[in-house]
Amino acid sequence: MLYAVLAGFAGAGIAPLAHRALGRASGWVLAAIPLALTLYFASFLPAVSAGEVIRWSRAWVPSLGVVLSFELDGLGLIFALLISGIGTLIVVYAGGYLAGDPKLGRLYALLLAFMASMLGLVLSANLILLFVFWELTSITSYLLIGHKHESEKARKAALQALLVTVTGGLALLAGLLLLGIAGDSFDLPLLVARRDLIAAHPLYPAIVLLVAAGAFTKSAQMPLHFWLPGAMEAPTPVSAYLHSATMVKAGVFLLARLAPLLAGSVLWYGLLVGFGTLTMVVSAFLATQQTDLKRVLAYTTVSALGTLTMLIGLGTPAALKAAVVLVGAHALYKAALFMVAGIVDHKTGTRDILRLSGLRTALPITTVGAGLAALSAGGLVPFSGFLAKETTYAALIEFPWLLAASVLANAFGMLVALVVGWRIFTGESQVIPDDPGPVPVALWQGPLLLGIAGLLLGVFGWMGEGIVAHAASDMAGQRVPVKLALWQGFEFEALLALGLSVFTLLLGLAFYKAHGLLLRLATSLDWLYQRGPYRLFDLGLAAFVSLAKWQTQILQHGYLRYYILTVVVTLLPIGVLLAAPGSPVWPVTFGPVGLFETALVAVVLASTAFVMSTDSRMAAVAGLGGVGYGVALLYLSYGAPDLALTQFAIETLSVVIFVLVLYRLPEFRVLTTRAQRLRDAVIATSAGAVMTLLVLAAQSQSGASRVSGFFAEQSVPAAMGRNVVNVILVDFRSLDTLGEVVVLVVAALGVFALLKLRPEGEAH
Amino acid sequence: MASLLVLPIVTPLGTAVLALFLWRHRRAQQAVSLLGAAALLAWAVALLLSVSRDGIQATAIGNWPAPFGITLVADLLSAMMVTLAAIVGAAVAVYSVATIDARRESFGYHPIFHVLLAGVCGAFLTGDLFNLYVWFEVLLISSFVLMGLGGERGQLEGSVKYVTLNLLSSALFLAAVGVLYGTVGTLNMADLAVALQDPRVDSRLTLAIALLLLVAFGIKAAMFPVFAWLPASYHTPPAAVAAVFAGLLTKVGVYALVRVFTLIFTHDTGVTHGLILVLSGLTMVSGVLGAAAQGEFRRVLSFHIISQIGYMLMGLGLYTRLALAGTVFYLTHHIIVKTNLFLVSGIVHRLKGTLDLASLGGLYRTRPILALLFLVPALSLAGLPPLSGFWAKLLLVQAGLEAESYSIVVVALVVSLLTLYSMTKLWTEAFWKAAPDAAEAPLSAGEWRGLLLPVAALALLTVVLGLGVEPVLALSLRAAEQLLNPAEYIRVVLGGRP
Amino acid sequence: MDTLLAVLIGALYAAGLYLMMRRSIVRLIFGLVILGHAVNLLIFAAGRLTRAHPPIVPEGAAALVPPYADPLPQALILTAIVIGFGLQAFALVLFRQAHRVSGAEDLDAMRTTDSH
Repeated sequence: MLYAVLAGFAGAGIAPLAHRALGRASGWVLAAIPLALTLYFASFLPAVSAGEVIRWSRAWVPSLGVVLSFELDGLGLIFALLISGIGTLIVVYAGGYLAGDPKLGRLYALLLAFMASMLGLVLSANLILLFVFWELTSITSYLLIGHKHESEKARKAALQALLVTVTGGLALLAGLLLLGIAGDSFDLPLLVARRDLIAAHPLYPAIVLLVAAGAFTKSAQMPLHFWLPGAMEAPTPVSAYLHSATMVKAGVFLLARLAPLLAGSVLWYGLLVGFGTLTMVVSAFLATQQTDLKRVLAYTTVSALGTLTMLIGLGTPAALKAAVVLVGAHALYKAALFMVAGIVDHKTGTRDILRLSGLRTALPITTVGAGLAALSAGGLVPFSGFLAKETTYAALIEFPWLLAASVLANAFGMLVALVVGWRIFTGESQVIPDDPGPVPVALWQGPLLLGIAGLLLGVFGWMGEGIVAHAASDMAGQRVPVKLALWQGFEFEALLALGLSVFTLLLGLAFYKAHGLLLRLATSLDWLYQRGPYRLFDLGLAAFVSLAKWQTQILQHGYLRYYILTVVVTLLPIGVLLAAPGSPVWPVTFGPVGLFETALVAVVLASTAFVMSTDSRMAAVAGLGGVGYGVALLYLSYGAPDLALTQFAIETLSVVIFVLVLYRLPEFRVLTTRAQRLRDAVIATSAGAVMTLLVLAAQSQSGASRVSGFFAEQSVPAAMGRNVVNVILVDFRSLDTLGEVVVLVVAALGVFALLKLRPEGEAH
Repeated sequence: MASLLVLPIVTPLGTAVLALFLWRHRRAQQAVSLLGAAALLAWAVALLLSVSRDGIQATAIGNWPAPFGITLVADLLSAMMVTLAAIVGAAVAVYSVATIDARRESFGYHPIFHVLLAGVCGAFLTGDLFNLYVWFEVLLISSFVLMGLGGERGQLEGSVKYVTLNLLSSALFLAAVGVLYGTVGTLNMADLAVALQDPRVDSRLTLAIALLLLVAFGIKAAMFPVFAWLPASYHTPPAAVAAVFAGLLTKVGVYALVRVFTLIFTHDTGVTHGLILVLSGLTMVSGVLGAAAQGEFRRVLSFHIISQIGYMLMGLGLYTRLALAGTVFYLTHHIIVKTNLFLVSGIVHRLKGTLDLASLGGLYRTRPILALLFLVPALSLAGLPPLSGFWAKLLLVQAGLEAESYSIVVVALVVSLLTLYSMTKLWTEAFWKAAPDAAEAPLSAGEWRGLLLPVAALALLTVVLGLGVEPVLALSLRAAEQLLNPAEYIRVVLGGRP
Repeated sequence: MDTLLAVLIGALYAAGLYLMMRRSIVRLIFGLVILGHAVNLLIFAAGRLTRAHPPIVPEGAAALVPPYADPLPQALILTAIVIGFGLQAFALVLFRQAHRVSGAEDLDAMRTTDSH
């Protein structure tokens, strides 16, 4: 099973090369990969329908409990078949749609990589593994939406989709990790077995909220839906595949996968049913306000996703059954309709439904495919869409308000189906400017095959009862009986559902008649779009960038002295710590003070003050020399003749260098204000006090050296040297001295290079 | 055994000396540099294998036993860091041969580059606090020279800030060493750990020293609020230099923080590590916001170094096994990825003659391979699976959740989103959008290969580290265990040779 | 006397840091030099002061006879002095070149690499 997932990635690797080698036929050839996968997964249908679960696992990251563990159950198989099956048609379709595009090879690669990620996602039985694939779908989606990357709109839409879904992804990650903590495992079947433990865990509410946030962003629940209509900037094969049939269902899939773990609380129920219903109704209405064919379809997709979320939230066996049927039916007809939209766009150069009519003559086969798909979308007998609607209604009978909402949403859906499947194909044939000629097979095969599939699955729905039952049972955590037939018998629920279907149809027709009115409403609702989430996202991004600029002005202003000031200020808390009562520095005693040393200290202090106050650079250098020699004499008086000698030598050298370099440097000028100088003086003095306190504190400790005794004893016998300081330098701590020499050599090289190596074109 | 600890320091130093002798022979210097880098890599890997197999190793320089002489110590953290330094060294050595101009080469670029590596390895391996200072100075002076080499205005101005703030940091570090010696009378880090256990040592003074070191190393690690030197300077030198800086230098600061705050200062973790945790969050946020405000390729990358230092410190602040493993793994991941991104920026600059995002564009169309090689480290940096950055982020987030430090987890997650935003900005501006000026500098096929080779190798390493994460992750966990239980480290250093 | 030296160290730190916070490039380097003295003295003072007993083993003796000045801080300072000298010399030349190239005598004018 791992190879089945990896096949897509491998295909992605060879796709650009294959495309270069095969040219126009590449789509047909590359489609062999998803086709083979479809057949492979289909071969499991009998077993899975019979209730078997196929498992495969290998260690991956045992340290973190991440296992390459895949599981093919009813739910997984339905999704896998949709992903690989529709993927096959899409690859062929893309070859026709983007024929001649130099980046087609890359598009194939991304489509196949996406397919593999999606398969991995639906087959994962390990939370972290699932998340890995989840994020991969986001990133492939980003690159696919941005296929026409030289258009700014496409780039923006891609970014928006990415940021929204990845935000959700991060919430999801946190949620999954918490779930792992609560259940002490990332293994899904194991977690299902521990569901009571999880439900009772204090982290449970946080888990539900975070998981829902992840699912809602991916499955475009309002108010996080706005990226999906924007994503219609992608080439149509991408929209058809990712943004209607598969990726947007990932969120719903996740909810379905985790339902057996997390369902059963008011929180879960409220979140899913609440947001799901809202999304279902509002976006179905918004779909009627659009004139761009793809955006119309995008909003109905959002609506279907809302329905699915609601159904999963309800969690009754009937609702879960309906969810499974709707997933399948919707994927088939929506992908078909998107492909139709692409063909129309391809042929006529527009997607404006108000400017399209009478296309049946120009696009005869497409018309058939579109008609079939639209009938299914409208929920007419005997299409699979009918089954989906019927089972949904049947599931909602106990919930009158939800039922009413669903009827309303479906009626809007009906209107859209009529527009897409009827209105643009009938009526007066239009003149097509720049007609690209007849539509190739690669393009029309998709909608036609999907349309037929939608019909067959409706008529022969009973054949799928086993798999649907297992998929629903996987979600419910209990056995769900499933009967899928166009005629459900004479029970009250069945008859009521049928009656509602008829009512939906009539309501839809009424809406269709009033479509003009609805569209006029759209202009009056413009203000809403101006202030909607889409706009909020833009504003949020702009605000973020402003915040970033503001912060950077404060932290990275470019004034070195304030950088130094910041460092100095960070030292001050140490002083507070050491000056507070109870610190080892207290009481401070001065002890006996030697006259000579006091005089030296005075000299050093005076020289320092002179350096700070003089206006002459050369005088300051002299003062600096005074500081250095004074320090050297201090060393001498405290038993450190080597130090004193070195200090004398270095000081002399320093003064010479200073004199040589300084006359090229500018004169002193007072550039700061009095207040600034005062502030700096206070802060610098405080920092000085911190260092004084540190020295005093160190002196207060016993401080006997743990090592010097060894040096005192071993210098002569072991290292043959009488000057212990020298012995330490050249023997005990020779590595320090090595480093010291290296520093000097490199510094010398650096000075040489600084003086000699000037940028090109500059005279020496 | 002992020689394995010495070789990562001696090899680059020897290489540098050899290259110095070949002052006038550029080609020979290049060859020596490549050979030296390869040898370093070989020794580093051997050291890592040996430490992984036999445990912590120590060797006393000149056979003066610890704590009297200077001891080199390699635990897993040190060995891993040395290996990473060697990997970066090798990649950048190759890249340098392809990109560094003859003028810089004739002024000692190659020898100084290897001295830098010696300084870095020395810092990772030494077991003595003052010796750590010495290696810090070795790598600092080399970095000063490399940064200023070429003498262009931006380089020099950036260097003024870089040099000043790092010298200030060194002065504080050295002061802390002095106070520490005055307090407990030893410099060997293992011995310091033992000596500070003595209840007679004033705990407040210990805390004060710890805070002083936090500031000193914090500057070197580019921690909030003392990171300003980094964005002021890292975008100014040639790409090869910036890449090695970006990969290694701040990480030496992080290493030093990890070392002293796991080995020496673990008395008052509520204060010290709690403070580090808060600072780590601020570092993440200020870095990522800084990046969002930038409009130049390398400036964006420079600010992201800061934000990622925050992640590494987060693990130290949380101070659990998983968290420290997160720090170690993050270091590993980051060093490879960040070096690579700077190398990519160098190629972009070579092609387009600028790194100003507004003037870039079109590279996805014209250079798809380069685009891919950018995308791998960029997405890894943003923590997207299954690349290395994802696992690094996962470890830290998991550790934070387990420790119930939810606020830092939220910060870490939000910052990773903003990092992704930054990476998409680079991607959009440099690769996706149409170039305002379509002209690209011509590159011969050979030149192109020379540029791509190290980048491709590092990108491959990122992918391998992501997909085959287990070995390095297990190593990081073991390294974390060693850090959390320093008794073994102390025993090996003080209790005679193994 | 230890305390007096501690105060001197504090004063040198304060002076060094104050000078570094000026806008003049020359004062910046002076500040660095004074800071170097301060650090060396700090190591010296923190490592205990003993008057006039240099750590040199007399002829004929096999080991130092207490009381003697602790040799280790002296060795550290020697290393630090030399390293500090190398770094300061480089910094001096670097600052001079930065001044030459940018023409700025005011450090506040050297902000081109930060602003954007």
